This record gives sequence, structure tokens and C-alpha cells, in this order.
Amino acid sequence: MSRIHASVEAFRIAVAALRANKARGILTTLGIIIGIVAVVTTMTAANGLANSFRESVSVLGTDVLYVSRIPWMFQGRFFQFRNRPNLSLKDSEKLARQLGTGVAVNPTDDTRRPVKYLSEVIENATVIGTTHKHMLVSSAVPEYGRFLTEHDVEFKRHVCVIGTTMHERLFGPVDPINKKIKIGRADFRVIGVMEKQGSAGTFGGPDFDSQVFVPVTTFVREFGGLHRSFDFAVKAPSSVDVADFEYEVVGEMRKIRRLHPSEEDNFAINKMDSLVEAFNNVMGVVLMIGIAITGISLFVGGVGVMNIMFVSVTERTGEIGIRKAIGAKRRAILQQFLLESSMICLVGGAIGVALSFGVAAAIDRFLLPASVSLPIVIIALTVSIAVGVISGFIPAWRASRLNPIDALHYE
Amino acid sequence: MTLELQSVEKIYEMNSVGVHALRGVSFGIDENEYVAIMGPSGSGKSTLMNIIGCLDVPTSGTYLLDGSDVGSLGEDQLAEIRNEKIGFVFQTFNLLGRSDVFHNVELPLIYAGMRPARRKKLAEEAIDRVGLADRMKHRPNELSGGQRQRVAIARALVNRPTILLADEPTGNLDSATGAEIMEVFDALHKEGNTILLVTHEDNIASHAHREIRLFDGQIASDSFESEAA
Repeated sequence: MSRIHASVEAFRIAVAALRANKARGILTTLGIIIGIVAVVTTMTAANGLANSFRESVSVLGTDVLYVSRIPWMFQGRFFQFRNRPNLSLKDSEKLARQLGTGVAVNPTDDTRRPVKYLSEVIENATVIGTTHKHMLVSSAVPEYGRFLTEHDVEFKRHVCVIGTTMHERLFGPVDPINKKIKIGRADFRVIGVMEKQGSAGTFGGPDFDSQVFVPVTTFVREFGGLHRSFDFAVKAPSSVDVADFEYEVVGEMRKIRRLHPSEEDNFAINKMDSLVEAFNNVMGVVLMIGIAITGISLFVGGVGVMNIMFVSVTERTGEIGIRKAIGAKRRAILQQFLLESSMICLVGGAIGVALSFGVAAAIDRFLLPASVSLPIVIIALTVSIAVGVISGFIPAWRASRLNPIDALHYE
Repeated sequence: MTLELQSVEKIYEMNSVGVHALRGVSFGIDENEYVAIMGPSGSGKSTLMNIIGCLDVPTSGTYLLDGSDVGSLGEDQLAEIRNEKIGFVFQTFNLLGRSDVFHNVELPLIYAGMRPARRKKLAEEAIDRVGLADRMKHRPNELSGGQRQRVAIARALVNRPTILLADEPTGNLDSATGAEIMEVFDALHKEGNTILLVTHEDNIASHAHREIRLFDGQIASDSFESEAA
């Protein structure tokens, strides 16, 4: 009971002290404000990055394996892989035959070509050669029109399906269906527009919405195919464990490649998991740097608060003496100053959080989707209170240990 | 006996030299006594006052307050005793400048852990008792010296202390105001309070019914004993 009343009193003193020294308090919290803005912005940006990554990755699906010549994440070992033989469309047919029905194998390759409609041109657009099986290995579907069919692939038709961004940029409000566009030097008829998929393009990933899909056979004819290596997207049947399925695919690929048991694979199996893992590693580093910067600014802020608390204790030595003389215990004095320092930091933290909303809005507008979430706000405010308690402890401890007689006679 | 000192000594270590502030002081004070402690500066008045007020403990000897030995208590236990049994009135008033009259008077009750409603009643009674009921929401810097000292008296009274300790209560006041303050103490004594004044002014000491004179850390004279003898 008595502790509660003492706490209420301590709270009241802290508020009064803050109100008496507004300017000083705000200046003191500058370090905390910067630190908290750093915390919130780092975490918000990291969240936004992770979300947009996850969004774009989810299009591809985790039960799909990608057989390629070179692993996605080769980290400087490129020369090890450059002499591997290409994966051809024939290989893709063989693999499909050997894996049997129920398994979709979709060969794809991409290139960059200018895409043109009337006078509108997109330089360097990503052109993807694929088949009707694209629909089976990816969650992407056309928003209107249709996707490529088996016949389109078989008869090497000059048809294409475009992404929403490409639609907007080339056609504006015009209905693109059955319009002729030029991809490189060849004419293609637009037969469909893909649904919006969100973009991983902000951090160097593919921008799915500005791609154009054409039949892989047409792709080979128009953009050259002899020296191309295709990627095979292979979707595991839902009844099979993905890890087991991977062994099967590796086995079949080794047969196609006629590899002796002593030879290493000369192809790579890529998975979303490995991409996610690589992304997480990068994110880890980014977060570590963010935390380090944040830590430094919070440390500097904390030292500032400690300094001002020493001043506050010295200024109020007489008051401490009075309080002790009429019965305040050490704990009550300790609590009073700890509350004061935590409240200074909490105010700083709150200002920091408020500013962070602005920074996050700017990031959201110009960089990537980001918004400050409640857990981040709670973490930021908790951190600022913790900084207050830690940096206020030594001054508060000193105050609580003052001899009442000396404190009373302090001038 | 309300309080009793038996051969109390106090030695301060200053630059590794022991300063003998009190050299064996023994006396007792009964309930509703009105005592003045006198003596020149350096005689040990302040040290004695600090020990009686439980702000300090004797180096040797015993100090019994309400029958219990407080000489060996820790700092927090002493704080509790001060809160419950001692009412201080200082020469420099020692009020909290940022708090109003009511809060200043209420403060000991807060540290005693009393409920707000009861606190309010007791604090208002004490403020009314010193005639400042209309100044409840004023801050110390809006009051005259005499009014400030009345606030301090109200704060000292509010916890119904065993003893009221006043250290040069009129030292910072002009003589007319000082006389008014002494009237307050006289009245409080009549109401049954035990009062101990520390002063070096004879006319202030004359309000008390008993005078203890200190010299060089020892009792030079005690009017109670001389009467008894």
C-alpha cells in the first residue's frame, strides 16, 4: 500500500520536474529521439523489405524446383560453373517423360528486348519464353484475355501475354487484346494481361509486372536458341515430399546428362528456400548494422540523460534532504529519480516514434511499402524507458544514498 | 519517559582526526515537556538535535525513544521513525518550493503510506490549526516568512509526532513575526505536545519550561535537575 502512494508521489515529482525544465529535457532527449527514429525506421524498412520480398516470392511457390545450369546463389564461384553444358528444350522433354505424368516441367528462358506499341517503347523489357505449363508452376494468372496454350507453343505462334505495368506503359487506357506489338524485330499479338503481382524490383529482384511472356518455341526462333540454357521449373506432385522429389529430379537429370556415379552434378537445383535463405542472410546483416547505429545513438543519448540527471540530483540536494528528514526511504528517492529519467527518455521516445511515422511515410512513398506497426512502437517505447532506467540509475542511486544532514545543509 | 539519552557520545572523523562533538550527555524528557536546548555555537547543539531527531546515531551510549533503542537502527528504519515520531521545524523552513502548501503538509503522510482521503483530512486540519486554511493552494514563494514557518509547523504536526523538534525556529524572522511563531508553539504545548527548542536566544528559550545548556559537548546546566535538587 505505502509503495503505491510513494510511487504516485514519485510520478508527480517527475512530471513537475519535467515541466519545470522543458527545454533542457527536450535537448537532453535529442540523442534518444535520433536513436528511436533509427530503431523504428530500420525495423520498419526491414519489415517492408521482407514483406515485398515474400510477396514476390510467393508467386513462385515453395513446392517448385528449378533445374538450371548455374545455382542462383553462386557467390563468386562463377568460373566453376561457366563450362557446364546447357540445358536444352530436348532435355526438358526427356525430364518430363522420365518423371512421368502428374509432374509439370516448364522450360523457360528470358532475354531483354525493346518492346514497342505504335510510338510507345519500353527499352530493355524482360521477355520470357515459356509454355502453357507456366500456369501450373506459378500462381500467376491472367487478369483478362488468356495465357499461352499448348497450341501456341506447338505452332510457334507469335502471341504474347503482358504484365500490368507493361500494359499501362504501352497502352494506357487502350484495350490491348489483339493489338500488335513489336518485341525486338518480330510482331506479336497480345492475347492476355497478367494479374498484378507486386514487385521485388525495388531491391534488384525481378519486376514481374513489366514482363512479357511468349511461347518458348517462338522465343527460340526469334531470339536464338542454340546457345541458350533453359531453366526447368518442376512442380512436385502434392502427394510427394519435396525433399524426396528433389532426389528423384537429381537422379533423372544425371541420367539425361549421362553422368558417371563418380562425377559431380553439372547442373543445379534451385529452390525458393535457398533464395529466402540468402535474403535472410542479407537482412540479418542490414539489421545488425541498423542495430549498431541505433545502439550508438541510444548510448550517446543515454549518457546525455545520465549527465542531466546528475545535474538534477545536485540541484535538488536540499529537496532530497527535506524528503529524507520527513521520512522518505532510500527506495522512494531512488524511484523518484528513476521515474524522472525514464520519463525524459519516454518523451524522447514518443517524439522519435512520431517522427518515424513521417520517415516511414517517405520510405513508403519513394522506396518500398512500409508502415510503422504497433509491435515496433511498443519495442521503441520499451527501449526508451530501458535507456532511461539504465542511464538514470547511478544518479538516482547517489541521490538515495545522500546523508540527510549533509543534504539539508547543502547550499 | 518520552525520550531518554544515556551517556551519549558523538565523534566525527574529520581528516582522520576525531572531533568530539558530544562527550557523554544524559537526560530524559517526559511527555508534554517544553524544553529549550541552549549553548554557543560549537557546543554540540546541532549534533544533539540530529541525534534526537534520528537524523544521526550516537557513536556510543543509548538513545531510547518511546522506550525503544534507536541508536543501532539502519537508515531506512530511522527514516520510518522520523516519519512516525518526529516533527521537524527548521530555521530555514525547508519547504518544497515547487509544491503548494497542501502538498507540503501532506508529504509526511504520503511517505507513511496513508490513503489520499485520510491524508486530505489530516493535512487540512493541520493547516487550519496554524491559521492558513485560506492559503492551501499557495506556493511557499507566495507566502511571508511567518506564514512559511507556519506551514512548516503544520507539516511537523500532521503525523501527530511524539516530539516536535524546532531548530532556531525564529532565526530567519523579524522579532514580531518570531513572537507570533512562539505563540503557536506555546499553544501547541498547552494542547499536550512535547516540544524541544534549539536556540541561542534567551527570550526564545524563556518560552520553554526547562533549559538545558550545553558547553563543549557536555551538559553545563539543566534547570529541571536544579529544580529537583
